[in-house]
Amino acid sequence: MTQSSIPLETAGTNGTRSLIVAAARNYYVMSVLSVVAFFALWQIVSMNVPPIILPTPASVIAAFVQLTASGELVVATAETIWPFVVGLAVAFVVGTALGLLLGIFRPAARVLDPYIFVFWSIPNIAWLPLFIAWFGVGDLTLVIFVFISAVFPQLLTVEAGAKEADSFLVEVARSLGGTKHEILRAVVLPSSIPYIVAGLRIAAGRALVGIIVGQLLIVATGIGYMFQFYGETLALAKYFAPLIVVAVLAVALNRAVNWAEQVLVPWKSRAFT
Amino acid sequence: MPELEFVNVRKTYASPTGDRLLALDNFTLKVEGGRFVTVIGPSGCGKTTLLRMAGGLIPLDSGEIRLDGSVLANPSPKMSMVFQGIGLMPWRTIAANVALGLQFQSHRQRLTDEEERLIETTLALVGLTGFEHYYPHQLSGGMQQRVGLARALARQPEILLMDEPFGALDAQTRAVLQDELLALWGRVKSTVLFITHDLDEAIYLSDRVVIMGRRPGRIKEVLDVNLPRPRYGYDVRAEHEFARLRAIAWKSIREEL
Repeated sequence: MTQSSIPLETAGTNGTRSLIVAAARNYYVMSVLSVVAFFALWQIVSMNVPPIILPTPASVIAAFVQLTASGELVVATAETIWPFVVGLAVAFVVGTALGLLLGIFRPAARVLDPYIFVFWSIPNIAWLPLFIAWFGVGDLTLVIFVFISAVFPQLLTVEAGAKEADSFLVEVARSLGGTKHEILRAVVLPSSIPYIVAGLRIAAGRALVGIIVGQLLIVATGIGYMFQFYGETLALAKYFAPLIVVAVLAVALNRAVNWAEQVLVPWKSRAFT
Repeated sequence: MPELEFVNVRKTYASPTGDRLLALDNFTLKVEGGRFVTVIGPSGCGKTTLLRMAGGLIPLDSGEIRLDGSVLANPSPKMSMVFQGIGLMPWRTIAANVALGLQFQSHRQRLTDEEERLIETTLALVGLTGFEHYYPHQLSGGMQQRVGLARALARQPEILLMDEPFGALDAQTRAVLQDELLALWGRVKSTVLFITHDLDEAIYLSDRVVIMGRRPGRIKEVLDVNLPRPRYGYDVRAEHEFARLRAIAWKSIREEL
């Protein structure tokens, strides 16, 4: 909700104070002010500390342009994106399918839940050395590590959603004569869709962490490796370039999931937006 | 005309202490074909249990429920239920919600042209033309229950089972929907078994009011309502006969409170 139409008059009558209030009411003005303040603060701090601690905004932008022009950043981004996308996609499909199965078919849940709990409890990072022994130092290990990072949040969220299908709606469907199979299709699956999207939101975040950690610690490619290399060589201005890429990726992912939610869950009345 | 019959129906529930709670015992009631019969009684008297058993949603312990002489067990395609909680699928549009009742009746996903037309005319019947593509959350409570009615009626049921369908609506909307229900019933002429705790509603709508006593549920009194129809055409509630029936029924119900 933007209220840009209201504050104009108050600003004229009551001076600076009202102007600030008016600006605070307008989200766009607030966003711009926040960004300007952030860069100003950064500039001031960076002018007063050695560049090895914090580079100036200008030098970061210059490094970003240089790394982009040389192709290094572009190649690294590609090296990061494809194992990320493949790992996340497989995790999404497997996690959703297994989550639905476990949520709907209780015997399967009884058999598999203990394993899932144990595997989920193990910190992801502990798998990496094992994966290297099994799959070598390469993209396969990265894909599998991303998969492991993302599959559990997807699975557990979808399982919880499928279990929680509204029992009243199931009863209504039964009264209309729906068979078990029909009710699954027409009631349980659709009511799980919001959970499938919610799972994807968490899974995508975990997958992003997974790919960066994998590349940074072990496989030495892509964005993760740029962090490691420019961190160790203390080339901080360049260090910020992959950081910007990750931030942009994260925002883009979030936007994509929001969009997916609006397409897939058009029936939700949103209380806050 | 289809006839619904409860014969010596007994139903118990497990109580938290482990013993059985007797909800209905030896319950016998005949709902004659084409009649509008309302069951009224204090909460906990087993009236909703009765309806859910007739709808095939819960099993009986013993006895039988018969539809035109044959024993009912599972939800029958000849019946439709309308619930107080309505139970529209929030991800389906209004038209798709009405379609669901037909899809589950025929066990086919695809609607025939005839079914498409049926949905259209039924929605028109309940005054929802133009709302086909809305989602349930975009409608008021009264409109949502109209969809619930349309979903039930599109199945062209021989028996309509209604479980306090207007209980959650405000008084004005309830009065409007009562009139609409009577008008619709005048056209479809199915047999109706209606549950309510609202005495005025019971008398206003029904040919016969069945008053139930406390647990275990049993029939306490049966009142025939002979007020002329259509009742939405005049002020029924001002009739002397209405007041007389209301006084008898109220006395009977009060004893159970």
